Amino acid sequence: MEADERRNGDSSNHNHRAPKKPRLAGLITESDIRSEFAHHQTGIARINNGSFGCCPGSVLEAQREWQLRFLRQPDEFYFNGLRRGLLASRTVISDLINADDVDEVSLVDNATTAAAIVLQKVGRCFSEGIYKKEDTVVMFHCAFQSVKKSIQAYVSRVGGSTVEVRLPFPVNSNEEIISVFRQGLEKGRANGRTIRLAIIDHITSMPCVLMPVRELVQICREEGVEQVFVDAAHAIGSVKVDVKDIGADYYVSNLHKWFFCPPSIAFFYCKKRSSESDVHHPVVSHEFGNGLPIESAWIGTRDYSSQLVVPSVMEFVNRFEGGIEGIMIRNHDEAVRMGLMLANAWGTNLGSPPDMCVGMVMIGLPSILCVESDEDSTMLRSYLRVHYSVEVPVYFLGLRDGEEGVKDEESGLITAYVRISHQVYNKQEDYERLRDAITELVKDQMTCKNLSAV
Amino acid sequence: MASSLSPPEEASYHHRHSKRYSSSSSSTNGVAVESVPDFVKRPKISLPNYISPSEIESEFSHHDPAFTRINNGSFGCCPSSILARQRDWQLRFLRQPDRFFFEQLKPKLSESRSVIKRLINAEHDEEVSIVDNATTAAAIVLQQTAWAFREGKYDKGDAVVMLHYAFGSVKKSVEAYVTRSGGHVIEVQLPFPVISADEIIDQFRIGLEAGKANGRRVRLALIDHVTSMPSVVIPIKELVKICRREGVDQVFVDAAHGIGCVDVDMKEIGADFYTSNLHKWFFAPPSVAFLYCRKSSSGARDLHHPVVSDAYGNGLAVESSWVGTRDYSAQLVVPSILEFVNRFEGGIDGIKKRNHESVVEMGQMLVKSWGTQFGCPPEMCASMIMVGLPVCFGVSSDSDVSKLRTFLRERFRIEIPTYFRPPADGEIDPITGYVRISFQVYNKPEDYHRLRDVINGLVRDGFRCTSLSG
Repeated sequence: MEADERRNGDSSNHNHRAPKKPRLAGLITESDIRSEFAHHQTGIARINNGSFGCCPGSVLEAQREWQLRFLRQPDEFYFNGLRRGLLASRTVISDLINADDVDEVSLVDNATTAAAIVLQKVGRCFSEGIYKKEDTVVMFHCAFQSVKKSIQAYVSRVGGSTVEVRLPFPVNSNEEIISVFRQGLEKGRANGRTIRLAIIDHITSMPCVLMPVRELVQICREEGVEQVFVDAAHAIGSVKVDVKDIGADYYVSNLHKWFFCPPSIAFFYCKKRSSESDVHHPVVSHEFGNGLPIESAWIGTRDYSSQLVVPSVMEFVNRFEGGIEGIMIRNHDEAVRMGLMLANAWGTNLGSPPDMCVGMVMIGLPSILCVESDEDSTMLRSYLRVHYSVEVPVYFLGLRDGEEGVKDEESGLITAYVRISHQVYNKQEDYERLRDAITELVKDQMTCKNLSAV
Repeated sequence: MASSLSPPEEASYHHRHSKRYSSSSSSTNGVAVESVPDFVKRPKISLPNYISPSEIESEFSHHDPAFTRINNGSFGCCPSSILARQRDWQLRFLRQPDRFFFEQLKPKLSESRSVIKRLINAEHDEEVSIVDNATTAAAIVLQQTAWAFREGKYDKGDAVVMLHYAFGSVKKSVEAYVTRSGGHVIEVQLPFPVISADEIIDQFRIGLEAGKANGRRVRLALIDHVTSMPSVVIPIKELVKICRREGVDQVFVDAAHGIGCVDVDMKEIGADFYTSNLHKWFFAPPSVAFLYCRKSSSGARDLHHPVVSDAYGNGLAVESSWVGTRDYSAQLVVPSILEFVNRFEGGIDGIKKRNHESVVEMGQMLVKSWGTQFGCPPEMCASMIMVGLPVCFGVSSDSDVSKLRTFLRERFRIEIPTYFRPPADGEIDPITGYVRISFQVYNKPEDYHRLRDVINGLVRDGFRCTSLSG
């Protein structure tokens, strides 16, 4: 990092209390931002920050310094530097998310890893007879596919049953979600079963909706659900995260999606309980039994550099007006503004109202494109990438019998949505390019069937 | 290269390493370098341009020059040309991650796996999975064992046999997965110092017998190819054969120190599962390892990566190639590493051979100077060897050697792992402390001379481990 960017010289000496807002004179400029993301491929509309995130040049630089420290003298770094560096990152995060104790915060590779940790524990309880066969795990039908597979691998395999709650989409209010969730809990408890775990997304991935997570957790408590795991892969840097207020037992969020970290790093919060938690990292090292934060801090020789740059990321976000809060608000507002622009241009709709969006918005695609399957949506996505240099994920909404669906201006059924993201490097022309691409496809009467022939 | 070598060692060192020099160099430090014998026999073409000593120095110029780094065994090393290739891969992802994910990641990981498959003489590509490190591989194999116990495929109390010197993390993994699910663990005590491979084979047989006592089955034998501490090359091929004869269900070889260190031939060794780190002795950046799973092995189909993704159920190799968003760059540089090692004469085999010869030579120099001994015969070491410390240090505990290691690092900038060997009853003047020296291509004789002199200096000063504060 350049000398004028570094305040204390050594990122590990960083002040970890609430980040100070910068003076107006020191704010990052447009050209600074362009420079920070100069490594992004130019000439494409990169409007999918939600999938793989982004990392600014100054943080990549900080990462390289950590990598070099290890390579220079790895033993010394292992004995004298690594743990301290990881604790510094954990402390920043702990403060940011309002955890009671930094010991509640572990660093893992990604949300997928955290899901494996929670589900392995649940699986052991089934295997060891602590849970009865057929006791349930409740989750939303749109839970991330990896989480579903993890449930299959660890819970279904040992006789646990699952209840999937269908997320209404498009969705109009939190009440719609709360209502179906209550029904799901009823089902989970039917026939004397106990709901051992509820998995709730803070922000669903596809389709993307900001969930009323605090209310849902509260309902779980009221209804006697034993443990709640919030999969908040997209949350930190997207929406305010207060783990005490949310009240879940487990909460995970990726920092490489919306919090400018390099791939990959997630924090995994485990609420302190009086009894032994029995959560373990599946890659067992000599630290086994010393608590998850310590177990996760050494899972064999690895490159831990992406977990060490969190203090540097704080420096980066504090160059923006309002720090990370300011970034979140502007991302949300711009994403909604662009979403409305697209919906108007195409004669379609938003998948959820603005207050149920974050820096990502779902916008209906014109029905005339005839997206009729997941394969169609994948093909359309590739077509947009190859022919229009637009990177945006496409979601096929499979309507079930009896579901009415939403119609577009042409009175056709909207069967697909794009999920646009807005991050600090995005510009209006990115979304205009998407707008014009779809408009052109519609004008040329292209459907997904035609696309496959191209 | 600057050198404070005494003439006899210098001559022998340069003689053996003369082939590393380009044919145009004639003498170094006043010692004549013998001409390369092969040159006479070859037709008149120029010798291939092998990497030169100054290029090697340049490749490892990021190593801290203030340190005497003789512990390649713990964390390995990575040349700067590979680091540069790694950065290229990282950048490709960062530039356009979606495109990279959809178009490049899978095929490029397959390329890495193919390279490894050829290197280790595996039969099928799908037998090779790439994981972060041997610790992860152990979790994968042991999780499979745990399922078998939990689901009644194995009887509670059936045995898992492992070496007493197994790596600490592996022991914990066995506790977490095997003991917890009802397996009975037997640790085979190995002698140290070791006189011959037969000692190990005998002890192992005894361990298997104990495993089969009371009508039990031995479900898994977990054997190191090269133990970590104390470091000894285990007669793996023989032990695997014995396991087969004695009806052991599965053999898992932990060869963290395998590829680039010892000969790694899956068909010859014949194990069910075999794992080795590439970042220790195969010049990969941290971190990348392979886990080989023989297709015909029972349980091969029930191996799963513990971090379950949407790739679950497609075979371990595919599951391991997607464990969520990660930096896969260390796994992608494997083909480039082959280019690097082939700049050395004899490629990786040449490197292995020279590392072995050099570590034995340096070890002998130390043993002679300190009046101690090796921990094992030279033929039972690869590129690391255990060298006894002077008895007068009075090493009497793990804490002593740990403090000694820190002392050597902080006071003398020497990085070397130390080992405490409890004395046997009745031993006179036992050697209770050992250092484990490593030799890798960036090492030089002066590294070991420095160690020699520092230790001798401490002896002269009447140093005792008890004087170290903790």
